[in-house]
Amino acid sequence: MSQIDISNCETAREADLGLCHDCHKLMPMEGRHEVDCPRCGARIHLRKPGSISRTWALVLTALILSFPANFLPIMEVNFLGTPDASTIMDGIIYFFKEGSYGIGAIILTASILVPCFKIIGLILILLSIQFHWKSWLRHKTILFRIIEFIGRWSMLDIFVIALLQVLVNFGYITSISAAPASTYFTGVVLSTMFAAITFDSRLLWDA
Amino acid sequence: MHDSHPTPCLVDLEQIIACPGCDLLLENIEPAPGEKLCCPRCGEILKNPKKDSIDRTLALSLTGLLLFPFAVFEPILTLNAMGMHNSGNIFQCVISTWKSGYMFVALMVALSSVIFPLVKLLLLTGVSLHLKLGRGSRHLPLMMRLYIHLDEWGMLEVYMIGLLVTIIKIGHMAKIHYDVGFFCFVGLLIMALGSSIMMDEEEFWERIEDVAD
Repeated sequence: MSQIDISNCETAREADLGLCHDCHKLMPMEGRHEVDCPRCGARIHLRKPGSISRTWALVLTALILSFPANFLPIMEVNFLGTPDASTIMDGIIYFFKEGSYGIGAIILTASILVPCFKIIGLILILLSIQFHWKSWLRHKTILFRIIEFIGRWSMLDIFVIALLQVLVNFGYITSISAAPASTYFTGVVLSTMFAAITFDSRLLWDA
Repeated sequence: MHDSHPTPCLVDLEQIIACPGCDLLLENIEPAPGEKLCCPRCGEILKNPKKDSIDRTLALSLTGLLLFPFAVFEPILTLNAMGMHNSGNIFQCVISTWKSGYMFVALMVALSSVIFPLVKLLLLTGVSLHLKLGRGSRHLPLMMRLYIHLDEWGMLEVYMIGLLVTIIKIGHMAKIHYDVGFFCFVGLLIMALGSSIMMDEEEFWERIEDVAD
């Protein structure tokens, strides 16, 4: 087994070592751009390729989609033949008026606060890399880890609509169906989740 | 290892690890089961070994697989309102979203609540069974990688909270009867969560490397 010189090296990049994205094995890059992991077969790069531009593209996609997602109706309730469409916000206001504050707060968090937090947080992180803001690195890494973790929870409202659609189905008397915003909203969730996947938090520490 | 070293400093590859969160080079330490190894610079969890990881993962994922068909195809709830009743299962949620014309939404619901959770359980059962029997297969690394990439796309726990929100939402307009599918779904959720908590990635990869030889 050959030995590696890590004198004065703080990071794997400085020692010319690549970390496998999938199985976390360290491999000497020997100046190459990419190598194949001998353990799992994944391609190893020093950093995820095109990370910044891909993440920007996906975050901006999410930002654009979030307008129709919030302003178009997401659900339609039919009661005795009269359709009543409601947006995400209408649903939340309904719960607060009814006095179900807990449920209102859960939907408010999952459908509005979490997507906003993800988009604003990722934009802040991307700007901080591009403008070499070197402070609060640990906090920004933790912020990214939170964004990564909460990503999937925005699907909550979509699942609720899918369940209501099946369970509240009494023919002409009352039925519930999805409305156009559900597609855009799913798009927001999907693009923010992919944005977190394409982002490489090591870039924060490189700058 | 981030302190300055007297030059030259030669090490074996096995003696060092790098933090996936911030790229810091660190000494490769094996924590005891139940202890976590965290990156001193960014706080990322580097190792979190579990006791009997392979056995427990196998048991939990296998139980999850047994519950899966009942959780998805048995009715979860029955609503009684105005003398009428209506019930539904998780598979119907996908079908009815598809039929109402929202194919993209239906596809995402199908993938995150039915297909990916099933594939994840199949992969975990397959990998842990191979490791338990000490049998190598050239597909193991690929199965393990697929599992890691699918991990966050299976959303049973989000679905569970969605189910609870739905129950509260319709609780005041109809009488709710909990059917067998509901309890199977709760069981499936516990098994799926348990198996992914018990799965120690580090140990699985090392064992995969061992059985490949």
